[in-house]
Amino acid sequence: MALFGNCLDFLDFIPLFRKVKSNIDSSIKMSNSTTVSSSSIWTGGRSPFNVSYGKLMMWIFLLSDAFTFSSLLVGYGAIRFSYEGSSTPWPDPAAVFNHFPFMHGMHLPLLFVSLMTFILIFSSVTMVLAVEAGHRNSKSEVSKYMILTIIGGAAFLGCQAWEWTQFIGEGGRLDSNMFGFTAEAAAKAKNLGFGDHVHWEAADRIPGPVPFASLFFIVTGFHGFHVLSGVVINIIIWLNVIAGTYEKRGHYEMVEKVGLYWHFVDLVWVFVFTFYYLI
Amino acid sequence: MSNNHSHTQGEYIPETYIPHAESHGTKSLWRTFWILLLITVVDFIIYFAADASLFRNIVFVAFGIVKAVLIVGIFMHLNYEAKFLRYMIVLPAIIFLSYLVWLLLLEGNYVSISKYF
Repeated sequence: MALFGNCLDFLDFIPLFRKVKSNIDSSIKMSNSTTVSSSSIWTGGRSPFNVSYGKLMMWIFLLSDAFTFSSLLVGYGAIRFSYEGSSTPWPDPAAVFNHFPFMHGMHLPLLFVSLMTFILIFSSVTMVLAVEAGHRNSKSEVSKYMILTIIGGAAFLGCQAWEWTQFIGEGGRLDSNMFGFTAEAAAKAKNLGFGDHVHWEAADRIPGPVPFASLFFIVTGFHGFHVLSGVVINIIIWLNVIAGTYEKRGHYEMVEKVGLYWHFVDLVWVFVFTFYYLI
Repeated sequence: MSNNHSHTQGEYIPETYIPHAESHGTKSLWRTFWILLLITVVDFIIYFAADASLFRNIVFVAFGIVKAVLIVGIFMHLNYEAKFLRYMIVLPAIIFLSYLVWLLLLEGNYVSISKYF
């Protein structure tokens, strides 16, 4: 304010100006001293959010990332709604995602994605246990739980690779989709019980809505890329943990920040699971 | 004055910052994990027990929101953060998302009506 005040010194002859200037000056003096910080949380000198800079920025990044994912998912909803009443109806997810490893030819909808959900929730709980061990400055426990988290993330990525392989093998492409069923095949699919034998002939299949396949690749691919980068960041932080970087620093806040990111990946999967597989 | 500052341990002042690191134990974390797992199992059961309907979809979305609140609140620790941080993260998400969902689903529905009905 000194610069501003000096420039406008020639206005000092106005009483009101003098009064405003002295008020501003005294409030600056007060906020620079340590005694004033209890007057309001917004007067400066301390953060109203009461977290470190890095953690605050991680939260803001996650908020923006949440907007990105919700745009994708809401866009999926809008396109799916727009196919209501079409002659090529939206495929029933149960007829598409019904595979399980080593259970070839069996109708097992939802089982595999439930397993993937379990893996991701479990890796989330090991991550939060690593954060908790970090609060106790227990290097060996942080390291142990971070290894478990990395294994969980890698397992999830493996599951997703398998799922994509099945999907592509049955005719899902970015620009085409063979998951339209003829009326007879759709009726047959509806009557399938859990664990029934299922086999589709080429004649049962007709081209279905293209966005079903392209959005599957885009949404689960974007999520999978987040998981992949999460695993890479986790590995980097784990290397720092075993190198003793955070022990020297005196706190494990870096583990908390990467933990926030990892839980966010889990959070997104909750909604991908709901909108892609359940509804 | 010093009484007013007794609660400010771990307060963020950049020059002197050391994180407020205090373990709350693992009990609530494991309990959250079991609740999340239970909700997923119930999702699985409802999927086969009830035919597809609007009501079933509403139940699935409601369960998804419950899971999201648990993950963000307990795992991401937002429940225990400062008031302004909570508002800054949660309010934009709620306002923006409800607007986007409302607008785009209405739009998709309208496209379907104008094309096929």
